[in-house]
Amino acid sequence: MLLDGDNVLAKNELEKILDTALNEGGDFADVFIEKRVTTSIGCEDNRIERINSGIDIGAGVRVVMGDTTSYAYTNDNSYHGLMQVANVASRAAKSKRDLIETAITKKMPEFDFDIELSPDSLPVSDKVEQVKRANSAARRVNEQVKQVSVGYGDVIQDVIIANSDGTFVEDRRIRTRFVVNAVASQNGIFQTGFESLGGAQGFEIFRKNSVEDLGENAAKRALMLLDADPAPAGKMAVVMAGEAGGTMVHEACGHGLEADLVQKKLSVYAGKKGKQVADSMITVIDDATIKGKYGTFRFDDEGQAGKRKVLIDSGILKEYMYDSFTGKKEKKESTGNGRRESFRDKPIPRMTNTYIASGKDDPEKIIQETKQGLLVKKMGGGQVNTTNGDFVFDVAEGYIIKDGVVLKPVRGATITGNGPTTLNMVDRVGSDLGFAIGTCGKDGQGVPVSDAQPTIRIKELIVGGTAQGAEQTIKKIKRL
Amino acid sequence: MTLANNEKIGKKVIQRAMRWGASSAEAFFTKNKELSIDVSDQQVETMKLAEQQGLGIRVLRNQKLGFAYTSDLTDSALEQAVQQAVANSDHTEKDQYHSLPGPASSYAQLSLYDPNISRTPVEKKIELAKEIERIARNFDPRVRITERCSYVDSVYEVSVVNSLGVQGSYEGAYCGAYSLLVAEENGDSQTGFEFQYKLNFNEIDPHFVGTEGAKKAVRMLGAKNIRTQEMMVVFDPYVATNFLGLLTPSIAADSVQKGKSRLVGKVGEKIISTLITLVDDGTKPEGLMSSPFDGEGVPSQRTVLFDHGVLQGYLYNSYSAEKDGRKSTGNGMRSSYMGTPEIGITNCYIENGTISQDEIIAEINKGVYITEVMGMHTANPISGDFSLGASGILIESGELVGPVRGIAIAGNVFDLFSNIDRVGSNLTFFVGKGSPTLRVSRMTVSGSQ
Repeated sequence: MLLDGDNVLAKNELEKILDTALNEGGDFADVFIEKRVTTSIGCEDNRIERINSGIDIGAGVRVVMGDTTSYAYTNDNSYHGLMQVANVASRAAKSKRDLIETAITKKMPEFDFDIELSPDSLPVSDKVEQVKRANSAARRVNEQVKQVSVGYGDVIQDVIIANSDGTFVEDRRIRTRFVVNAVASQNGIFQTGFESLGGAQGFEIFRKNSVEDLGENAAKRALMLLDADPAPAGKMAVVMAGEAGGTMVHEACGHGLEADLVQKKLSVYAGKKGKQVADSMITVIDDATIKGKYGTFRFDDEGQAGKRKVLIDSGILKEYMYDSFTGKKEKKESTGNGRRESFRDKPIPRMTNTYIASGKDDPEKIIQETKQGLLVKKMGGGQVNTTNGDFVFDVAEGYIIKDGVVLKPVRGATITGNGPTTLNMVDRVGSDLGFAIGTCGKDGQGVPVSDAQPTIRIKELIVGGTAQGAEQTIKKIKRL
Repeated sequence: MTLANNEKIGKKVIQRAMRWGASSAEAFFTKNKELSIDVSDQQVETMKLAEQQGLGIRVLRNQKLGFAYTSDLTDSALEQAVQQAVANSDHTEKDQYHSLPGPASSYAQLSLYDPNISRTPVEKKIELAKEIERIARNFDPRVRITERCSYVDSVYEVSVVNSLGVQGSYEGAYCGAYSLLVAEENGDSQTGFEFQYKLNFNEIDPHFVGTEGAKKAVRMLGAKNIRTQEMMVVFDPYVATNFLGLLTPSIAADSVQKGKSRLVGKVGEKIISTLITLVDDGTKPEGLMSSPFDGEGVPSQRTVLFDHGVLQGYLYNSYSAEKDGRKSTGNGMRSSYMGTPEIGITNCYIENGTISQDEIIAEINKGVYITEVMGMHTANPISGDFSLGASGILIESGELVGPVRGIAIAGNVFDLFSNIDRVGSNLTFFVGKGSPTLRVSRMTVSGSQ
């Protein structure tokens, strides 16, 4: 399946590659062989501008000795090519070791999910059709919609993973992604609206979701922002709607719970296992097993089964996210969070589908009971400095709340806060939950993830806007 | 000669594409060898060695564009990619402006390959990364954690061949060094980093990379927040290049042609501060992004974008140039063999002013010197609106007085560059983008105090 024609690697060849990798010493070796077939379609200016197809093949060999990792990769997926790479990776080790013969055993998935319509089972024209439909829907909304770009992408990634601990996995991952970006303009002002859809799913994703809705919603958001006021600046209560996505949980605590950062003391959450790090209403879960989500997988990129982990349980820090390297350092198992962008990268601890569990509060009531603040209806991207916990995220759609009523939309807001401080200031957790997809970047590697939050309220966060009279706003909020 | 061999593969692919019905075709081939070494606590944490190559095929048929790529260079895989590229052209829109460039009369002779990069033994490169760490840790005892100190290099080959007679190849190399450090004091942890990319191995300065990274971490210790207020804001060159990255998408001709830029129809008008002259120069000596030709074989050139605040023109690739009835500026950039040439910057920089950073700060009664911004990737490249988390150092009576963090700044990049009232004389490059220190006369800085 993975390697065409006569290039299929036999089990004993993989074992020999691993033995060669450990020839000069080392505690652990693994090999990651990949074939990635992609299709992407881009539409802008009312035209299908490009259709790109690609085949990317390659393999990486890793050798770990003590705290040192040696990694080498190549585009040559033949047995000969892999033996060469294994040799290169082995050279960083210093001591010859006694010959040990690695024996690998094939692992079967602990859970499975069906892809109903594999992307390679459909003609390109079907994919183009979806793109065109989203484009028309967005443009139909209003003549102030000046530009629409629609992107479609699918990937079929076949991998073989084997390691010197005996793991041997063959897996096929299929993902589909669809994005719409609308630009509206009026009197020289430009605003944009963005909608995306994606999952570990094939073309069936379009049976359950309407691309017209995506196009329309992106266009409507861009139009709404044309009439929005500049966002206020200063400290205020913030309500994040369930539909807003999970950028906050991803940045405020997700990254800080990745074991590599924790072990190097590059996280504010280092040394806090068993301690209270968030309000008792907060439970944070990372779950690679949710069917069809963008961050879902059967096996991670080290051949470990995808798992569900409770990271923070009612405010108490229970667990970090580990790959095999960081797990071994603490003499424990990987939590199935070892991921890599491609064969070009060594695996590191990464999130999968990360969310704050739903609470008991009625989402509507949370807004009604807010005297003054900002309602975040859609979050954009974010960033975190894990060492001190400071994070920031973009508000793609926001409104002023006054006396429990949602007022005018505001634009140009960013929220900044500190992870542990913010999670301790949560005073309402709603009973809903809404997911959003993203590509998470760390150490130059991007991996597909999703995140989610229920509607939550945070007593105060800093909103960075441009509106004048900011000081007055702050004083008002202080009276809450 | 491996360059000649790369061109041979390219020619073979083009011939096949023409046989499958393409009216014109292009092959873009790259090959590179990469090394990266991460050191922490005087130990090699990760060493990565890599070799890779790949080919992208662009075809035009009935004025429709098709593209495919492969990193599998076996005969059958190349054939499959060619057929896929031709098949993809069936479903794209017909467009009279699609074109491939013809051969150039000459390409600039640039010195892009320092043999010392590949010749220097790995042991010496490991030692360089370790030296950066020692210098950083010795700079101040409060520098207690090394996220990593790194050395990286890349040696590469690029070839472009098309059916109109373009045939070009070059090889190049670059190297870089990083320090990412954490300083600790009284339970407070702050990060600092520095990096350097050079075309010549001997220009990497471990002392600079180690000392500056350490200095930046230590000076943020004890950072406080401030109350929301309007003040003068100074951007260090790194942060200034971050803002430059938000401005440049508006100068790309395709953004302008699609109405996604505020600069539509504005050539010849004063758009930003008269203190700003912005240049893109793909032939700049020692420029990390310099090359004899761009991703479609068009000669690289120097293009003035803003001359003392006045918009001079846009950046073009072949397609957008054809649409505007003019010549490409050699900005058809390819991030890899996996994509088509899109408009992008080469070495893009704001020219030096006449005043030093110290003098700029000395003039300020109350302001903030911003050394780090967070969330720039969430800013809007079309409208130019941004809202960012920031940290830096407070300025009072002409002196840097103390670190601040967790503050937020927001605005529009065009307003920001219009309100620049001082440009420093310390132009510094960060890979392809360069800027001196810049000062903005007034901005709202949001804080929590």
